[in-house]
Amino acid sequence: MARTLAMFTDTSLCIGCRACQVACKQWNELGAEVPDWTGTYQNHTHFTDKTFRLVRFIEEPGGKPNGDLAWLLMSDVCKHCADAGCLNACPTGAIYRTEHGTVHINQDVCNGCRYCVSACPFGVVSFNEQTGTASKCSFCNDRIHNGLGPACAKACPTESIQFGFRDELVARAQQRVEALKTMGFKNAQLYGADSRGFLGGLNAFFLLLSRPSVYGLPESPKLPQKNIVMDSLLSVGSALLVGIGALVAFRGRGGKEQ
Amino acid sequence: MGLLQSPHWPFLIDVYFFLGGLAGGAFVIATVASILNARRHREVVRVGYYVALAALIPCPLILIVDLGVPSRFLNMLMRFNVDSPMSMGAWALLGFSVCAFLAALFTLLEDLGRARDLARVKLVVGVIGAGFGFFLAAYPGVLLGATARPLWIESRSLGALFLAVGASTGAATIALILIAMGRRAADQVAGVRAMTVLALIIQIAALAVFVGSVQSSGSAASTSALRLLTDGRFAAVFWGGAIAVGSVLPLVLGLVALKKRSFGLTALTSLLVLIGGFLVKYVIMAAGQV
Repeated sequence: MARTLAMFTDTSLCIGCRACQVACKQWNELGAEVPDWTGTYQNHTHFTDKTFRLVRFIEEPGGKPNGDLAWLLMSDVCKHCADAGCLNACPTGAIYRTEHGTVHINQDVCNGCRYCVSACPFGVVSFNEQTGTASKCSFCNDRIHNGLGPACAKACPTESIQFGFRDELVARAQQRVEALKTMGFKNAQLYGADSRGFLGGLNAFFLLLSRPSVYGLPESPKLPQKNIVMDSLLSVGSALLVGIGALVAFRGRGGKEQ
Repeated sequence: MGLLQSPHWPFLIDVYFFLGGLAGGAFVIATVASILNARRHREVVRVGYYVALAALIPCPLILIVDLGVPSRFLNMLMRFNVDSPMSMGAWALLGFSVCAFLAALFTLLEDLGRARDLARVKLVVGVIGAGFGFFLAAYPGVLLGATARPLWIESRSLGALFLAVGASTGAATIALILIAMGRRAADQVAGVRAMTVLALIIQIAALAVFVGSVQSSGSAASTSALRLLTDGRFAAVFWGGAIAVGSVLPLVLGLVALKKRSFGLTALTSLLVLIGGFLVKYVIMAAGQV
């Protein structure tokens, strides 16, 4: 495998312009969304088959260092998890890991079973009714294989979205957190940068100015497939009980000896 | 956790989970009965293998129709992915289909008097098929447990529960058919009558573990998903349908029927078990996908 590529989204630099969202739609030829009145700047709330980058607008009372309301912005995207629930769940092999460490859905193989949709801890994978397949951010698979960065990172005017080698980006992100903390952002933290942390680390990781749950992110997402061993053991136990039950039920009961 | 997406598996998938479990359960029961005494339990074995095939036939069709791209259904068999219960389930369905077809075919040949000592090969098919049958009944529960859906991810016993429901509904179906066959099979009802009761006990225990494991998970999203079942909009179906009328009442009636050897009561019990078994799977699917 080549050196792992990553995207680092520094939410402290995001100005909410949605250039990333538009660039993503243009490059990937994704359609428009029906506007959604939520009472905030948040215009439609979920990833869909037409939205792979989604800017989140979050109001956090008392979130600023001086106690004022913090207006948090975050350009959200598929995390390209090192241990990816969607990839593990895929029964066809349509979802695979590229040599750059990103997670990609092969649209020519996916048969639309939707298991990956249910297995994503972040609600990223979406079902496309038109093609009948699962869809999500591809890390601009075509672009990175031709020496270009992802369209969103290219379009970002403030370098809130940075693209590069993962190890370099993590080092840069750690420096940035320290700098923000000295500026008074005491809740500044990295999300998914630690490759020993949850899901083996995220190849699209974030710098957040508050707790992950404020952004609607799970504090410590769990790999769904971790449950398989325990659930299977209990199933085997149940099978043994049913088997023994059947032996008891049919032993010497019913029928006549012929 | 409000940002999770639902797979929106339709009602038909609930039907598949029900039929697949029923087929696996009926097959396992037929095999155990034939191992113990194939002649003595002749009608149980016959009916069990026929029921298994009949319940199985719609299953692959349902799964194919539900796909986003049905013409690519064979892609399910391009990969053997032990991390994906759906992949393992697709393989188990294939293996079980072969065994269920052969077992029913051998039974038919015996019925037609064309069989020349098929007993041994039928037993081999029965034992292998019973392994697949267990798997087919249980894997949908393990599949649900290996998702990020809050109701399912913290539950530990869905596989065990679905397997028990497969056994209870399989036994109940065989019992109903034996009763409908009248005098010819009347002396064979006792075994499946007892089987239904034992499977119901496992089913109720697994339901309790399901509720308990989600409740004690400490995950706010999961416990609030569970409240949809316990006192939300699915509460009536869950408590009234799946548990009271579908599990506890047939257990009580089944115990009485066991004592009184009543056919009428056994038929009523079996009917309730079938309704209850379906509701258990339906309500867990529906509440898990909200």
